[in-house]
Amino acid sequence: MNASPSQPHPAEWTETQGLLSAEERDLPAGRHQFHKEQMMARIREDLRTTAVAPARNSPSTAPARPRPFLRRAVLLPALACALAAAVVGGVALTGGGDAGTSSADGPALTTRIGAADARGAQPLLDHIALAAADTSETTVRADQFLYIASKVASTYPKTVGDKTTIVTQKLHSRQVWQSPDGRDGWLIEPGNTGKDGITLAGPNPARSAYDRLAKLPTDPAALLRRIYQESDAVRDPEVPRDQAAFVAIGDLLTESYPPAKLTPALFKAAARIPGVVAVNDAVDAVGRHGVAVARLDEQNGERTEWIFDKKTYAFLGERSVQVGPSDTFKKGTVTFTIAITRRAVVDAMKEVPGEEG
Amino acid sequence: MRTRIRAGDPDAFAELYDQCARSVYNHAFRLTADWSVAEDVMSATFMEAWRRRTSVDADGGSLRPWLLGIATNVARSHCRGNRRYRAAAGAVAAAGVPEVADHAEETAGRVDDRRRIAATVTALAALRRPEREVLVLCLWEGLEYADAARALGIPVGTVRSRLSRARGRLRKLAEAELARPARRKRELTRTNRQTKGDRDFVIRSAQEGNR
Repeated sequence: MNASPSQPHPAEWTETQGLLSAEERDLPAGRHQFHKEQMMARIREDLRTTAVAPARNSPSTAPARPRPFLRRAVLLPALACALAAAVVGGVALTGGGDAGTSSADGPALTTRIGAADARGAQPLLDHIALAAADTSETTVRADQFLYIASKVASTYPKTVGDKTTIVTQKLHSRQVWQSPDGRDGWLIEPGNTGKDGITLAGPNPARSAYDRLAKLPTDPAALLRRIYQESDAVRDPEVPRDQAAFVAIGDLLTESYPPAKLTPALFKAAARIPGVVAVNDAVDAVGRHGVAVARLDEQNGERTEWIFDKKTYAFLGERSVQVGPSDTFKKGTVTFTIAITRRAVVDAMKEVPGEEG
Repeated sequence: MRTRIRAGDPDAFAELYDQCARSVYNHAFRLTADWSVAEDVMSATFMEAWRRRTSVDADGGSLRPWLLGIATNVARSHCRGNRRYRAAAGAVAAAGVPEVADHAEETAGRVDDRRRIAATVTALAALRRPEREVLVLCLWEGLEYADAARALGIPVGTVRSRLSRARGRLRKLAEAELARPARRKRELTRTNRQTKGDRDFVIRSAQEGNR
């Protein structure tokens, strides 16, 4: 299971030695057998009462009600999903000798911090929502896949020996295929996945899955309520509530294929989040300059910026910039950045769409 | 084995239980810092595995990653807030520092065992839950990143980024320990100090918010 030499195992981490023990315990006497019998009784009971699906009963929940933790299980990873996607490129683990990633790192990426204007957010988001409303609806069949190509890089503290430096990965490409239901998918991201990529299939549908987005309310107020509700359920208590909501919307916008009806609503919802500002200049991962809608995480001094074309207000990408004090990153450091270069509907996983037009 | 589990063969589940119960139990402890909660989580995990048996892929290796993924989800519902985890970890850490009288009665090995476990949960308490989950899956359970990603239903890059953050925090923690050379060994198990250090991480940390 740990055979892949390209993935340094955390066991090599020197930090963990001494701090973390691998101490294991047995179950208290008799409990192993007790729980085994409980499980076997449940299995026999299920097999006796129903020949087919067993999804009805489990010990801690009433029948017909989905187990609450499963819902959460869907939410949390998904929250991580879309945007972490953005980060994915990033933060390659630098253990001992991972030549692949270390050679691809460079000096920390920095930027000029754009000026923030609190009053400008509302009109800017109005323009953006209006421009977004102008796009025609694409339909996606259940057997098709959404293709999203991007360029990503992220910045992280890298330790070699006893020296830690802040490095930024080389900007690299990332291609994702998602089934509309979010249960199947594929990722190719050289450096992180190998050239053939890896499956993103799993029992938990991605939170930014097309089908899910299609079911979200398109009324901004209702949508925002839903966003807060969902993000409250999974957010780390350390992350300010409004920031979590802003980031959650960003997740739905970035590595996703939001239905045409939903996009304007997402922007209008974002305009209602306290602390959202307009930024006069921001540059995306591939060097395109634009304007940004942003929000500062007052907790860690990092500003998340959604970057839009200055004229067309098309969504270009997203980045995080350290604008406040931090003992990890210098002011002006771009901690991660993603530029979306292509979104398309394709008929098969790993199929790359032809030229646009 | 996978085919039999998918088909709902009771004997296959019995085997799976015997092979993995202990591992799931310890995994659950690291995620909850509470042995009795860990027992509940372990039990619920196998019930849930039975319920979701058809989600097992026909191909693939050991079913342990799949079980650990389920256990992680179950544990999450038991121990949602970090505050709760820290409280539990604090209790374990306190128990790891035996009274002098205790010490005399117990064998040295047992005391060491408790101390090591206390040190572990104390260190884990410095992490956020998502980081703790990937760390526990990848470090103790030895899952390949791709397996951990699948177990948690997140992209492999997320596993990497969370591990990287976890690493940063652990390094800080290790440095903090080194900065107190005189009583280092003992301090490791003292919960009050660790909790203070923890605050710093919380503020500094959060490279990507809650993604």
